[in-house]
Amino acid sequence: MTPQLIFFLILAVMAIACAVLVISLKKISHRIIAMAFCFFAIAGLYFLLRAEFIGIVQIIVYVGALSILFIFGMMMTDHRNVTFVPDRKRGHKILSFLGVGTLLGLMLYGISTLDFPVNEAQGGTGEEIGIQLYGHYVIAVQGVGILLLAALVGAVVLARKEAE
Amino acid sequence: MVPVTFFLALGAVLFCIGLYGVLTRRHLVVVLVCIELMLNSVNINLVAFSSIGPFANITGQVFSLFIFTVAAAEAAVGLAILIALYRNRESIDVIKQDIMRW
Repeated sequence: MTPQLIFFLILAVMAIACAVLVISLKKISHRIIAMAFCFFAIAGLYFLLRAEFIGIVQIIVYVGALSILFIFGMMMTDHRNVTFVPDRKRGHKILSFLGVGTLLGLMLYGISTLDFPVNEAQGGTGEEIGIQLYGHYVIAVQGVGILLLAALVGAVVLARKEAE
Repeated sequence: MVPVTFFLALGAVLFCIGLYGVLTRRHLVVVLVCIELMLNSVNINLVAFSSIGPFANITGQVFSLFIFTVAAAEAAVGLAILIALYRNRESIDVIKQDIMRW
């Protein structure tokens, strides 16, 4: 048991437990808090992989910004009842559980047959990522910028009250 | 160091939890949260291969940055659609949003 493995197990159990809480808690605000903790654990995994820049961006974007965005979305809509009546048919839940379980089993079986060498983590500093972004992927960066602008304008237009 | 397959298994488990949530939950905010979980599990795979994969390379982290921006745009537009739906139809139950259903 190396220290990395112990930290990995702690963070992985925290991430999976919080993800289960997201789909099982009663109140919608508690679910969003559980989501924030799940993303925090995943950011810890990025630090474990020596990808510090991605970890910091994860904390800023997901734990900071997206949680607040979801909390605002929750507050602007009906958040008192999470369970709706009449409930979905029992067959629907069982069928989706079986389908997702089969998918998970197949993926885990496929992963267990893989045989990769165990490497030392080689991190990426922000400098290397920046050189790649503005060198090799500069057109993709421009495209993503246009996407963000379109999403900004689209969100404002969609959420605004319709003008008479 | 931790083998890369452990990270792949964690990503698969998180993806399946998110998929189950999308398929069964009925609150629209929870569905969006589960989509974010699925996107994040993909990011785990990308960063794991970029850091300790057989051909470790910085490109995976660059791609995960692109996924961050797409996820942020998706969440913003999704919540805007949700607010518009709630204003027009007075409900955020997934089943009630069937106006374009065949």
